[in-house]
This record gives sequence, structure tokens and C-alpha cells, in this order.
Amino acid sequence: MTEKILEVKDLEFSFDTYAGEVHAIRGVSFHINRSESLAIVGESGCGKSVTVQSIMRLVPTPPGRLKGGKIFYCGKDITNCSDRQMEKLRGKEMSMIFQDPMTSLNPTMRIGRQISEGIKKHEKISPDEARKRSISLLKEVGISDPERNIIRYPHMYSGGMRQRVMIAIALACNPKILFADEPTTSLDVTTQAQILEVMNHLKQEFEMAIVLITHNLGIVARFAERISVMYAGKIVETGKTNDIFYDPRHPYTWGLLNSVPAVGKKRTEKLPTITGTPPDLFMPPKGCAFYNRCEYRMKVCKENDPPERKIGEEHYASCWLLDERAPGIKPYVVKRHAGEGSGKGVM
Amino acid sequence: MSQTILEVKNLKKYFNISKGQVLKAVDNISFSIDRGKILGMVGESGCGKTTVGRTIVHLYNPDEGEVLFNGVNIHELNNKKYRQITKKIQMIFQDPYASLDPRKTVSAIVGEGIDIHKLCRSKTERMERIYEMLEMVGLNREHANRFPHEFSGGQRQRIGIARALAVGPEFLVCDEAISALDVSIQAQIINLLIDLQKRLNLTYLFIAHDLSMIRYISDDTIVMYLGTLVEKSETEELFENPLHPYTVGLLEAVPIADPDYEKNHKHDLLSGEVPSPINPAPGCRFSSRCKFAKEICRNETPVLKDAGGGHMVACHTVHREEW
Repeated sequence: MTEKILEVKDLEFSFDTYAGEVHAIRGVSFHINRSESLAIVGESGCGKSVTVQSIMRLVPTPPGRLKGGKIFYCGKDITNCSDRQMEKLRGKEMSMIFQDPMTSLNPTMRIGRQISEGIKKHEKISPDEARKRSISLLKEVGISDPERNIIRYPHMYSGGMRQRVMIAIALACNPKILFADEPTTSLDVTTQAQILEVMNHLKQEFEMAIVLITHNLGIVARFAERISVMYAGKIVETGKTNDIFYDPRHPYTWGLLNSVPAVGKKRTEKLPTITGTPPDLFMPPKGCAFYNRCEYRMKVCKENDPPERKIGEEHYASCWLLDERAPGIKPYVVKRHAGEGSGKGVM
Repeated sequence: MSQTILEVKNLKKYFNISKGQVLKAVDNISFSIDRGKILGMVGESGCGKTTVGRTIVHLYNPDEGEVLFNGVNIHELNNKKYRQITKKIQMIFQDPYASLDPRKTVSAIVGEGIDIHKLCRSKTERMERIYEMLEMVGLNREHANRFPHEFSGGQRQRIGIARALAVGPEFLVCDEAISALDVSIQAQIINLLIDLQKRLNLTYLFIAHDLSMIRYISDDTIVMYLGTLVEKSETEELFENPLHPYTVGLLEAVPIADPDYEKNHKHDLLSGEVPSPINPAPGCRFSSRCKFAKEICRNETPVLKDAGGGHMVACHTVHREEW
């Protein structure tokens, strides 16, 4: 059953700064289905976070400005709905967890109150009922002894615990979509694995759609069903996780995959890197934004933005190399099959 | 001709927090590094990795134990001799945004060490040395007069490396030198560090929590847990055949950039969190999270023992036959 929960079409978002307009998002389209996990990957500054924040309308305007595009939630156009209508959606229908659990909780409020705050806003509920709900939410995200824990303050918690609390707050009203903006970046690997487990469990149990923003390809491989690769304010490739990892078509995706050290590679071989830096989004290039850094660039790439091409079912990429007139190029992509027989320490 | 450049012997570093409360950040750790090698150090946050690094560069004084650099205990030197040693041991920091003085130009940042150690006789010589350093790390001369805020994270980390190299060190402590950077930039910095290591015959202590990078870069790897060393081995051996239950759990937790592997592999995750290092319980520090924990683990601290072929592990379960 594929039901589109959220659909974004040609979203354009800019920031008006004293130095001029920053074209942060330049025509982003994607969708997510019920109980699906979509990962948005890309370097910092590519517009991953802004995409999500502009959907949630969390970017202050000004300086932010929605320039164009449409956002559909459950088939309904929410692009131009009023702030009050948006407030009803936020928290109840779509929720977000942020990167830094240390700063995104209120240090002067007890955990229980922070969780029930959202519930009280959206539902008529007695304090006692709200308390019970908070306790069961904490249990859901794997915090032991929730009765005692809801009267604590955030500083009494470790990073992993705080992120669990953040998830509990986001879940409070059973949203249909959860946006997770680098939820595990500031956590240790062991805690990260636990948090991913919690999110996976929620996805299955509550049929929640999760949009995960990250730059860690390992997390993507473990968690996501579909991936969108973003570069300089655009999605350059979208596909099922296996398409992206085993049949990537965009040179930027090749570069990203290659820069993760593969199994059994020793430092006698150099790590392939993407040279150069992303373009300046004050003046986005006319053609392909990856032109300057691309090993396979052609004349056409400089002046003309490549159109999106369908490669397979749900697999799309925007690159001139996919044109029938382009020379056939065999990209150098590191084989990434870990194999079954190489013991428990495979990495 | 393996020659030990740095030896850490029974190092202990405790912090007194308040009355009767002792934070045992580093508790009896010993290891050594051979010249020209890269030693990786992994562990969760709060396990004492950074404290070890800082003690080695003499930012902390140890409570017990010693750090021998080329056979000399660096914590027992007088000021003059100590200055000779600091030239040889340098550090690269985690956060390229916080570790550079925003009010100094790049040439002032890189040149500071040169001035302190009086390495150059004239101004032109000093500038030449700064240019040389910048070029060595992949920046160019024009960058010398700019300020840190004009650079990206990767470039700043290059400045940090140039600063460390300016005094001609033999040994570098890289404390999470790449964690704050983007994936593609990480690869660039790693390539640079490896290149410099070969060119200048440097020795690294590479502290990180990214296990795939550790596996890629280091010759030997040590695993720390709550201030203690739990496992020490040649890197490939450690990753292929981890013995300590903590190391196994740590490796399990790392997501691998291979969807098929992730799908078909059952993850056996560590539960719970790292307990507090304040007044830790006796016995094995890991026993509260270990599923193999026995009576002995809670009472007796395991010592690092050879489990064959130089693979050292501190675990009662592994050394069962010796009970």
C-alpha cells in the first residue's frame, strides 16, 4: 500500500541577506509514503536541513522566503495555509527531532512537562491523563523507570537519554511524519545504534513515515528504504537504497560512496576524494552545480542544467552522462560487498 | 628496526570533583608506539581517550605512572629541557572552529610556535617557513594574511595541521581530528595526514570514534572503556577477530555503508550506557553491561594478557582456561 503522505514539488527557498540572495533550495521535489523511511544525504550546506525546516515552516521569514513550489500533506496543499493552520499540523501531524539534544530541550522544565506540553496544545486532556501518556511515551523510547524520570530535568540525563526524550516529545501526538535532522550525529556509536533501533521500531509500530537527514552513509544503509542525494540545493539522485549503493548514476553519488573507506582497504591506496568545494549559492551556476568538481564533466554541463531522467522504478538522476549522446563512462566505484564469511568484525 | 618513540607506563589521571568523589578518567594504562607507526585509539565519549592524549602532550600532569618520549619522562623535566620536548610532540584538535584564534592571521597562528622555539633567525626566513608549511598542507601563500573565519572547516583543519608541523615535530596526537568534518573532506584530511606521515616520518596517536577510519589508517589499535584499556592488537586482527565483549559490541554498533550486509546481519547491540567514572565499582568496568559477566568479573579487575600473537585483552571470560 503506497499512500503519499507528503509530496514536495519544485520547492524553492531563499534567504535574503545583506550580501544578497542565497538560493538555498533550488527546485526540490520528493515524496514520502506512509511508514516509509527516506534519507536525505549530502554535505553540510547543501540544503538538507532548510528543506525540512521550510516544510515545517520553522525558518523565520524574513530572512527566509519561499520562492516557489508546492507542498502537499495527505493530498492537501499546505503551501500557503495560514500560520494558525500550520500550528495545528506541527507537532500533531508532523514532528521533528533535532541534531543537538543538549540544546534543544528546555533546561528549566521537567521532562514530563516538556512532553505533555505538545499533547495539551493539541488535545483536550486532563493533567493526569497527560502524565500517564508521558510515562508510556518514555517507556516506548526505551527509558527505564519512567515514573521517576518524568520529574527530572534535562541536565540529569546523558546525551542518548536526551535524544530519547526528544523523540518522545516528537511522538507525543502520534504524528504521521517524523523529520529527524541528524539525530545521532552528536552521539556515540553504541548509543546511535540504540536510537536507530528505537526509530525503526516506531516506524513499524505506528506506521510513521520518517525523513532522516544525515551525512553518514552507514546509517543510511542500515535505516533507509529510499535515498535522495542532495547537492547545492538540488536533489541530484533519488532511488531505493540498493539502487543508490549498488547502481549509482550521478558522479556526486560516486564520490560520496567512494570517500567512505571500504572493507579491507589499507592506507597504501589513497582514499578517493571529491576535490574542490560546493558552489557559492549567492550565485548558483547556470549549468550543473557539480560541474567544477566533476571528473566527467562535458561541454554541455557548464551551461545547461541536466534534466531529471528515469533510470528504473523510483530511480531518478540528473546528469548529462545519462543522455544517449554522452560517452559511456564506467565510473570507478568501490565494490562494497562485505561478504558473509569474514567474521563478526566486518566493517 | 622498530624503535619505541613513546611509552606510556601505568598512567593514572584522577580528577577530584568534590569531597570523597574521584573521577578516574584514566586508570592504569600502558601502551607504546613505535617510530613511524600510527596507533588508533577508540572508545565512547567519557572513556578517557582525550585525557590520555592531553597527558601525553603535557597539558595534564599524571597522578601516577609515566610518559616516556624517546626514553625520557616528559613530566620530570625542567623548563628548558621540557621546551625541547614540546617541539617534538604536537597536537591536532577536534574542532577546527574553536581551536584557531579568530583574531590572528594564519601566518601569526602558524608562526607562533616558530617564535616561541626561536626556530628562525630572520623575518624572511620565518615567512618562508610559514609559506612552506602552508604549501605542505595544500594551502597557498596568499592564505597567510587571512583570518580563520575566511576558511572552510577542511581548510581550517589544514591550518591546524600546519601549525602543529611548523615546529618540526616527530609525534602528533590527533584528537578526533576529522570528526567535525564532512565525509568527503574527511577523506582529504586523512589522505593529507597519511601523506605527511610518510614524507616526514611522523608517528601518530590517532584518537577517534569513527571505527572505519581507524581501521583504514592505523597499524595498531587500542580500545578504551571507562578509563581502562580493554583490548590492544594489530588493527586488522582486532577488527577481524575482536575478543573483548565490549569491542565486539562496539563493532556491531557501527553501521556499514552496505545495505545488503545491514539487512542480512543480525545486530547484537550493547544495552545500557557507559556508567559514571566517578567512584567506579571494583572488578571489570564493563561487567554492568556485559552479558558474559560472572562472579569473578564483579570482584576482580582483569589484567591485559596476551591471547595469542600479541593480541592483548583484559577479560576474565577470554582467559577462562586460567581460572
